[in-house]
Amino acid sequence: MIERRKSRMTQAANLIKATPLATKTGHSVTSSMTPDNDWKPGEQTDSQTDLQLVRKVRNGDRAAFDLLVVKYQSRVASIISRYVYDSQEVMDLTQETFVKAFRAVERFRGDSAFYTWLYRIAVNTAKNYLEARGRRPQGSADSADAENFDDGGRLRDVASPERLLQREQLQKALSEAIAGLPEELRSAFLLREYDGLSYEDIARILECPIGTVRSRIFRARDAVDRHLGPLLNHSVT
Amino acid sequence: MDERLRETLSAMMDDEADELSVRRLLSHGNQDEVRNQWQRWQQVRDLMHESHGPEESVDVAVAVREALDGHVRPEPSRLKTQVVAGSYWRWPVAAMVVMALVIGFGAGAGWDGQTQEPVAAVAVTELSDGDALALSARVEEVALQRLDEEQLKQMRQFMLEHAQHNSVGAGRGSVGYARLVSASSGY
Repeated sequence: MIERRKSRMTQAANLIKATPLATKTGHSVTSSMTPDNDWKPGEQTDSQTDLQLVRKVRNGDRAAFDLLVVKYQSRVASIISRYVYDSQEVMDLTQETFVKAFRAVERFRGDSAFYTWLYRIAVNTAKNYLEARGRRPQGSADSADAENFDDGGRLRDVASPERLLQREQLQKALSEAIAGLPEELRSAFLLREYDGLSYEDIARILECPIGTVRSRIFRARDAVDRHLGPLLNHSVT
Repeated sequence: MDERLRETLSAMMDDEADELSVRRLLSHGNQDEVRNQWQRWQQVRDLMHESHGPEESVDVAVAVREALDGHVRPEPSRLKTQVVAGSYWRWPVAAMVVMALVIGFGAGAGWDGQTQEPVAAVAVTELSDGDALALSARVEEVALQRLDEEQLKQMRQFMLEHAQHNSVGAGRGSVGYARLVSASSGY
């Protein structure tokens, strides 16, 4: 684990030095700048934020549960779409998964990550749904896969030409937004998003206080959000 | 949402927010704003990792919230069913009580028009429903039709007893109603 972290830090440090960020040519930042593709934010098994939110939910805080729903809804939908192919059914079962999770949250002991627990509920919900309709579950997802599950977060029936085009535009806008960031913001942001480094590690690499890292990442995130702006308001409900 | 809270939310994205900050954020007055900001940043993150863009994203947060609100509050449909089911029993029982009180009390008081109205008013008040008045009037009319003096006397006696019994049994006297029907053939 420590070796892996060191390796990541070295890679990240090299990335910061070597990145010319020639993205104004339209070349995708995400493909050219990702040194370590095996890490995805939110896949951590010991998400402190999740545990904090779960504690709040147990105390009756519905707003905390909303944040968990928003955070994991796409991934839950992806899990379910491995079993059920109709998009409306996927939505319904995704909703049902979260309702079940809310009702059962008192039984979440924290032995596993919240996402792993949620993953099991999603798989069981999908399987029960199929069995109730006399359809044999065909999906291969198992709760043991929760940590590694990643099918790109895509629902199966969404790759229409319009959406592909829209996605391309978004990627381009994202590349431009990142390229337009001041160097110190971009470095901190990319070390966090692509390498999954902690604020502490980033602070060490960039030789600045942790509070500065925190602030830079926030400002970078905010700038990217503002740049993408209207393009992000096309959620499927 | 001020800069500090937004920075806390950003730190939450990265698992770097402390408990106190999270608590402060969740107690913020406008949670819609918090949720929307959180959702946009999640979308940016998804996009950065090439998982999917917002055009492909799922948003069930509102539906989940509504479903849970329905779960917390009493289900209206269930409540309605209970009320309807209860009313099936209440009507015959109420009608019997009204009829028994009106006729029985009328027998005890000489059955004149002056006493009948206040008694009926009391019974209707107990029912708390305007329809009971029409129902009681209809029952009274049927009960007293074509009765001679002797039958009327028997009827009054019967209804008085009936009312006395039902006052103990909370008006659950459907048998009494059946006996009332046969009163004209010699009680």
